[in-house]
Parts: sequence; structure tokens; C-alpha cells
Amino acid sequence: MAVLGVVSIAGLVETRRRVGRLRVERGMAALRLAARGGARYASNAPKLFATAGEHRQQLRNDLALQTAEDVATTLGTMKGVLMKLGQMASYVDAGLTPAARRTLSRLQDSVPPMSPELAARVVTEELGLPPEQAFATWDPVPIAAASIGQVHRAITLDGRAVAVKVQYPGIAETIEADLSNVGLLRRMLKITAPSQDVDALLAELRERITEELDYRAEARNQQLFARYYEGHPTIHVPGIVEELSTRRLVTSDLADGARFAELAGWSQAERDLAGETIYRFVFRSLYEMHAFNGDPHPGNYLFHGGGRVTFLDFGLVKHFTDDELRPLVEMVKHLCVENDPSAFRAAMVEAGFLMPDTPLPTEEIIEHMALFYDTVRERGPRTMTGEYASAVSRRFFDFRSPLTPYAAIPRSYVILQRINLGLFALLGELSATADWRCIAEEIWPFVRGPACTPIGAAETTWLAGRRGAEHAGQAVR
Amino acid sequence: MTAEPSAAMSGLVERSAAAYVAAVPDHPRDDGFFGPASVTWRVASDLSAPVAGLRSLLMQALHPLAMAGVDQHSDWRRDPVGRLAATSAYEAIVTFGDRASATAVAERVRAIHTRVQGVDTVTGLPYAAGDPALLLWVHAALVDSGLAAGRLFGTPLTGADADTYVREMTIAAELLGVPHEIIPASVAELDRYFTEVRPELRCTPAAAESMSYLLDPPGLDSDLAELWQDIRDASIATLPEWAVGEYGYQLPAPVTAERRNEIRQALGVLDAVFLGEPGVLEARQRIALRARSAGKA
Repeated sequence: MAVLGVVSIAGLVETRRRVGRLRVERGMAALRLAARGGARYASNAPKLFATAGEHRQQLRNDLALQTAEDVATTLGTMKGVLMKLGQMASYVDAGLTPAARRTLSRLQDSVPPMSPELAARVVTEELGLPPEQAFATWDPVPIAAASIGQVHRAITLDGRAVAVKVQYPGIAETIEADLSNVGLLRRMLKITAPSQDVDALLAELRERITEELDYRAEARNQQLFARYYEGHPTIHVPGIVEELSTRRLVTSDLADGARFAELAGWSQAERDLAGETIYRFVFRSLYEMHAFNGDPHPGNYLFHGGGRVTFLDFGLVKHFTDDELRPLVEMVKHLCVENDPSAFRAAMVEAGFLMPDTPLPTEEIIEHMALFYDTVRERGPRTMTGEYASAVSRRFFDFRSPLTPYAAIPRSYVILQRINLGLFALLGELSATADWRCIAEEIWPFVRGPACTPIGAAETTWLAGRRGAEHAGQAVR
Repeated sequence: MTAEPSAAMSGLVERSAAAYVAAVPDHPRDDGFFGPASVTWRVASDLSAPVAGLRSLLMQALHPLAMAGVDQHSDWRRDPVGRLAATSAYEAIVTFGDRASATAVAERVRAIHTRVQGVDTVTGLPYAAGDPALLLWVHAALVDSGLAAGRLFGTPLTGADADTYVREMTIAAELLGVPHEIIPASVAELDRYFTEVRPELRCTPAAAESMSYLLDPPGLDSDLAELWQDIRDASIATLPEWAVGEYGYQLPAPVTAERRNEIRQALGVLDAVFLGEPGVLEARQRIALRARSAGKA
């Protein structure tokens, strides 16, 4: 039933499974892209400020939270924790029963926004000045809800149009208190994930959630992505205003664009381009930045046409060390490029996905794993489908597989599963078509293939400029 | 006596939620017998309400004649979930409904009560559900449970608010036909009543059977069953010592701060599940909006 659907999140967070991988492809009608590549995302601040208001989310302002006690009543006794768990799980189809999904989304709906006064108090506490003084223009009515806060639009004193995410007062303490008392969670996790190491799972959940309660980490991560993708033809990450970002505030450049739901009304060609950009973003970030943005929620994208996408919300970013990343690279290389099954198997063991003495033939292991690489094993256009995304999800949760007793997901890779599954589901929903293999070859560090789409060509130019700039920078140093 | 228990408890959350949603009015004609500023609304909306509900049943069952009426006339064995849902719907209508709805639903219950009479096989005494003494017992157990559950696991009331709650709730007993002058109207009067009625109370086999079913109901989903254990432990922890003794339960250890937190967490998760049922959020919002506008007035 509903309750512990929640905890099949366990399944989510922890368990077994594979690193999915790529897909991708080629393009479409995209010559105009190159022409548009340089188009600016942001226009002038007052105009952007105004248009961002037009997309204001409908919030129950009549029930606004007025005090920190209201926050504790609304989000205490596990509700805040459940919301965070739900957020982590929400984009994985197979992870949750429909009842659990409904419960979690209703829970999210049940949290009213802060009253203007309460939000202003948080800003004042964080910045030492009331919002009307800290900003040139401050809209007291939020434009959007965030899981543990809300977003206000504003214009800074030096004229930047910004989005200010304000955290509910007391929410961090409330959630931390619930996470420090884990008796109930432990018992419930044991029901849904009886075979798992519940304490390790709890530790992982706790770490992830706690991390998200401090907006400074989020600001740092977003700034990292914003700098890396600066000038990119289709990937836009709003920059952070560091002096206006604190533990409970994140201030970033305001962005506006079409929401995911609106893409339903766009041409398939546009949807393909959007899918290609999201795909490139995920894998370029992984292979080049060694970082993964763990929250591929549809609400975290804004679409601008021509494949241009703004990426929002960097609350859940995982950074990989070289040692952590290497086996993943080896796996894809051996399976998809060098076609060397035993090297693939060895890389799985090195990564900790597979026990060293697993008494199963390599063919069987490959057969089980191949689904995750299905879209990048061969060249040619492929259409992502919801069925494929579900098949990957199902295999992810396939506890009957003969591989199950010997498979594991080492803790540092746990987050990958969420992203892979989230990405597949998202691209499936777009029915995005591309030669995913060819795009992957552009990005794979052991191939670095030539551009195979207009976006790829534009990206090549951007990369060249970027590397040039880096070299120039190094020379100066 | 009686058939063996009994139907499974599946659908408890779904059916209780549906009953609650139907009971909270969209467009009430008036604020009912309590109103958004009342202590009663606060108690009914408190996190500890499920504990109060289960404790009420545990207390109420200890009056042999009240228990005999349920045992011999109710269909709880065939449809235990329906029985519980109907009871909570009744309470919700009386609490949140307008005066006409509350009066109407109370009239219906009074009509049913006229048909509920018989002889208790344990004490050999005749009983009638319309007997004010029995109705008073059921009422007092309910009110006392709201206070006790809130004190231990919810938001405790101040002494003055507790008195107000007991006084406000007298109308609920009156609606079922209890004469105003015999209804306790303060905490002190309520305590005095319990002292007086205590000699009549005991755990009959019917009480033992129905309560052991309720404390460990078959057919709950495993995750809900896990939460139910906490609600059950919490309910027993709020019982007076003599009541625990009557049932022969082990006297519960004092509730540590940690255990209290865990139970509150379980109540929070249960509440989140309840909130996930269709219409519950909207019903809560209707109540919250009325309470808020009353606060401003």
C-alpha cells in the first residue's frame, strides 16, 4: 500500500543494478540551430522579471505558513523526510506503486507557501537586510514552490534579474531531528527491502538528504556547472550570485522558458533536439566534469526551442573520483567499442558491481547487462520509448534475475541509477530520436568522435574555444 | 455466543478517508456546534487523533452493557472496517458539519439505538443502547481519550483548554439524548465521573475478543501493520493503569522521549498516507481555511 511504496525507494536508492548508459543519435532538421546557437538566453532584466511572473505556479497563498511553528507542524513527524524521499524517487517508474506516487505528490501539494512576511524574515536573517533593501526589486509573492522552500523573483542592486530560492525556516532542523531518530524508518525499510543492508541504506539516505538541506552546496555545484557550460550552444545553466547565496538562500540568474509539459505541443523535431541536449548534458557532465546532476525531474528544465535547454536545480550532485569513474568508462568501452566480454566482466568486478567469484558464465552476465547499453551498442537512429524506459526500470528491480545474488551497487554509484532511469524515462516521454551511439562517441573520452549532429558541430566549436581559453589561462599562470 | 472473528481489515485507510471526506462539508450552512475557533476542532485535527480513537474503543469496551450491545447487534465481525469508518464519519460530521447535518446524523443513530437492546450474558443485566448511562459512558471515554492521547503524543492542551474541551463536548452527548445535567463539563467533573463508574467496568470475554482483534487486525498490508503496532502501543500507554489491568495486558514501560518521537513519526507517516487518499487534502484545506478565517475574525 501507499506507505511503503515510499520505501521501495529503498529499492531505488540502494540496490543492485547497473549503470545504464547511453543512447543517442542524430539529428534532424537542425541547420537553423547553428544560426541560433549564439542567441542569448537572457534578455534585459525587467522584461525577464515580468515574463517569469507570467509562469507563476498556482500556490495556496490563502493557507500560507506564517511562523516557523507552522513549518514544523506541516513538515515535522516525517512528512519533510517523506517528501525528500519522494522527490528522490519520483522519476523512477518502477520504484513506486501508483498509490505511493499519489501519496508523495499529495504530500508535496499539501505544503502551502510561506507568507510574504515569513519569507522576508528568512531573507533578513540570512542577508542581514530585509529583501526590499537587499534587492532593488523584490516580489513578495513566490513564483514557484521548491521541495523545502519557494522561489521569489527579484532584481539585484546591480540590475541582474534573479530567482531567489528561500528555504522554510526550521525545516533543516525538523528533518534532521527525524533522521536522527531512525527506529521507524529502519523497521519500514526492512519490510520493503528485506535483503538489503538497511543501515547502509539509511546512512546513504541521511547523507543525501542532509546535503540538500544546505543550499551552499547546491550553489557551489550550480556555479561549477554554470562555469563549465558557459557559452555552450544549447546548454544553459543560470549563474549563481554568490554574495546573495547562503545556507538558506540560493540566488541565481532568472531564466524563463517553456515547461516540460508544454513540449507535448511542440514538433517532434524540436522534441528530438531537446532530448539530444539533455542527453549531451548528462554524459558530458559525467565524462568531462566527473559530475552527475542527480535530479532529472521534468520540472528542472526550461526549453527555448532549437534544442536549447536551461538546467535548473543542482541540489543533488554527485562528484566522482577518477577511480570511481574509470571502471564505468571501461565497462562501456569493452562492451560497446572493443566487444571484449571478459574485460567487461572484469571491469564490473573492479567497480564492485559483481562479486569476483560469481559462478555464472560471462554470456549470461552480458545478456543481463546489455539492456542498459541497448541504445549505444550500434549506430543508427533510435527512438527512445516509454517501453524501453520501463524495461530498464523493470530490470533494475528484477529481483528474480540469476545475477541478483552476486550483484551489488556500490554506494558511490547508487546515484547513477536514479539518473539513468530518470534520463531514460524523460527521453522516452519525449519519444526522442537520435543516433545516440554516434553522439556517445563524440563524448566518450576513449573515442572523441567527430560531430554527428548540428548541435555536435556547434559544441565542437564551443569546446575548441573553451580549451583555447583554458590554455591561455594556464599560460598566464 | 459468537461467531469467530472475522473479516480482514483491508481497506481501512481508504474507507476511513472516504468517510472523512464525505463528512467534511463543502458549503456548511453554519459553523456547527463547535466552530473553527473551538478546542474541539483542534483536538479532532491533532496528530494524536488515531491514538485517541483506538483508546476510546479500548475504554468503551470495558462497560459490559455497552460491549454487549455492540457484541449482540453490530456487524463488526462481518465488516470491521465499515464499522470503524462509520464511527469516524459520525464523529467528523458532528464535529465539522453544520448544525442540521450533525442533528440529522445524531437522530439516525438514536433511531438505531431504540432497536438495540437485550440482556448481557455475563452480568445477566438488561441493557438498552438508548440508556443515558451507557451513552454517557461512551461519551466520557471518548472525551477522556482525546485528552489523554494529546497529552502523551499530540499537542497537550493547557488546563483551561482541557476544561473548555470537556465543556464544548457536552453537546455531543446531548445530541444522542443524554440529559445535560449529568454530563461532566470540566476535567474535574470528568475525573469524578470515572471514579463513580469504575465499579461497573470490567473486561468481558466479548471485550477481550473484539479488542484483541482490533489491536492486531488481520489483513493489514505489512507496512500499515508496522505502523499499527505503534498506534496500538501508544493507545495502551495512554490507558489508565486499572484498564490495562482489566485487559490483562502487560503494563507498558514508561514512554521514553525517543519512543514518543518514534510513535509521532508513525502517526506522521500514517497521516501522510491518509492525506494521499482522494479528497482528504481538500477536506483538510476546507477546515484549515475556516479555522484561519475564524482566527482573523
